[in-house]
Amino acid sequence: MTIDLQALVQPDRVHKRVYTDPAIFELEMDRVFGQAWLYVGHESQVPNTGDYFTTRLGREPVVMVRHTDGEVHVMYNRCPHKGAKIVPDGSGSAGKFLRCLYHGWTFKCDGSLLSVPLRSGYEDTALDLKSPQYSVRKVARVASHRGFVFASLSAEGPELGEFLGGVATSLDNFCDRAPDGEVEVAGGVQRVIQRNNWKIFFENLHDTIHAVATHESSWRAAKEEFESMPAGTPKPFEVVIVDGNGEPLDFWEKLELKGYDRGHGFMEGIFVPPTDPVSLAYVAALEASQGAARADEILRVNRHNTIVYPSCSPHTSFQQIRVIRPLSVDRTLVEIFSFRLKGAPEATFQRTLKYTNIVNSPSSNVMPDDLEAYNRVQEGLTSDGGDWVSMHRAAGRDQALPGGRASNGNSEMPARNMFAAWASYMGVRAGDAE
Amino acid sequence: MNFSNWQEQQEISGFLFHEARLLDEHRWDEWQRLFTPDGLYWVPLVHGQADHLNHASLFCEDALLRSMRARRLDQARAYSQQPATRTVHVLGNVALESRSDTGCVVRSAFMLLEWRKTEQRAFGGSVLHTLEREGGEWRIRMKRIDLVNCDAPHEALQVFM
Repeated sequence: MTIDLQALVQPDRVHKRVYTDPAIFELEMDRVFGQAWLYVGHESQVPNTGDYFTTRLGREPVVMVRHTDGEVHVMYNRCPHKGAKIVPDGSGSAGKFLRCLYHGWTFKCDGSLLSVPLRSGYEDTALDLKSPQYSVRKVARVASHRGFVFASLSAEGPELGEFLGGVATSLDNFCDRAPDGEVEVAGGVQRVIQRNNWKIFFENLHDTIHAVATHESSWRAAKEEFESMPAGTPKPFEVVIVDGNGEPLDFWEKLELKGYDRGHGFMEGIFVPPTDPVSLAYVAALEASQGAARADEILRVNRHNTIVYPSCSPHTSFQQIRVIRPLSVDRTLVEIFSFRLKGAPEATFQRTLKYTNIVNSPSSNVMPDDLEAYNRVQEGLTSDGGDWVSMHRAAGRDQALPGGRASNGNSEMPARNMFAAWASYMGVRAGDAE
Repeated sequence: MNFSNWQEQQEISGFLFHEARLLDEHRWDEWQRLFTPDGLYWVPLVHGQADHLNHASLFCEDALLRSMRARRLDQARAYSQQPATRTVHVLGNVALESRSDTGCVVRSAFMLLEWRKTEQRAFGGSVLHTLEREGGEWRIRMKRIDLVNCDAPHEALQVFM
């Protein structure tokens, strides 16, 4: 059965099937995740020769490895002999070469075949050990932006810089915030399973108006907590990052949203730069390294979630990257990586971890109500109670930008922008408005 | 290390059973009062995690964060608590790990069944209670829970374990 994708996407609404149909999910794996540049990991996760880190790009299990020449390679985690995953899932060190557990075929850390047992057994057979098909297959393209490694499963398409467009500045600012200009992954990775289609999570990242409704339980709890403190108590960081969701809709309206081609975008920062001792010590370290004027320029880039569609969401001011891995049409894995700003005081990283513990961890007080909402959407969309999902709010009011568009904070521009990219990857044009 | 006598073992085991019951009955305020003012509730993210400050955790909560969690769970519009999570703790293998002038460290094993909406989840692992004697009562300076599956992907963990 062919699917008329053209009929499912309009500029301001989408059909429920794009979230619920397993056949469309498989097409997305081929066409969206098979074409786009996808975030793999950060180079600091494989600091030494033979260090590896496994992940999943679309349906494909892949491994990022540091080769003897210092280059980072990304290849399919599959032995060309019998098909076994060569390294176990996770991260570690393979030593000087990769060795398959099953029959001991070994490969250099760039995937090229090094040796096989019983080489003589292949003499005069059709199996040519010099053929690239007996080396570990590399993903089609790998590129890095400031240490953030991306891969594309397709040999065709724009270069990484062109692909990132306007959100490259978020990755730049992520690094520029380090007094030494570099970041490194540290402190472990939190993993959360969501029972919803991956697109529901992406849309939520820039859905400002859900916060006051969905997060009432956590922002009210934070406000009550603060009110119970003695008068004059400075508002603790733990309260600030939770009660902000209770801001009224006119607060969010004033924030600017940017959307870029290929579905990317970012939201202007919702938190006023904090003035607690930890923050001030960090600013002092940045000023000492970069000078006051440059430090000010760096810190003025104050953004909440950035979207790098369709694989990750960096948070530049609290040094997190959430990596989104669709598992099935109604199941999504989100992995949260924390980063250390090189050259910053230790307490800066400890605050990064505090943010991830409070906001991103599976035990977050904020997220369960999101997960509940996503799941109720997923379940509701399977019903016959309606066919279409609205993205109409502030449609037709976007401001054009080079390579993208801007809108007020409560616009559903980001969702429309992501679906325009989705339609393009899927090979259709978002049809005419109803 | 052994308990000095049957009575001490009974008393400390009884304290742990009481603590677990407060959680299973959602008596958050009474549970919070079991902690010393600087007490920590900690569920590490990785096996053998040494540090709660420089490594992410599953839970890492001081008095402020425990209070915010308890307040949230009881909000009328805590949508993710419709229906509320139900739990039962089963404790065993209670052993004295070490003793100090003011208290002791107790190790136990636990199973936790948790139910909400459609599925029952099972958690298990070991617990270290660092206990202080305060005015004739035991107080928790640290409750550390090492889950067998700490580093697995998890769905939301809402209630205290």
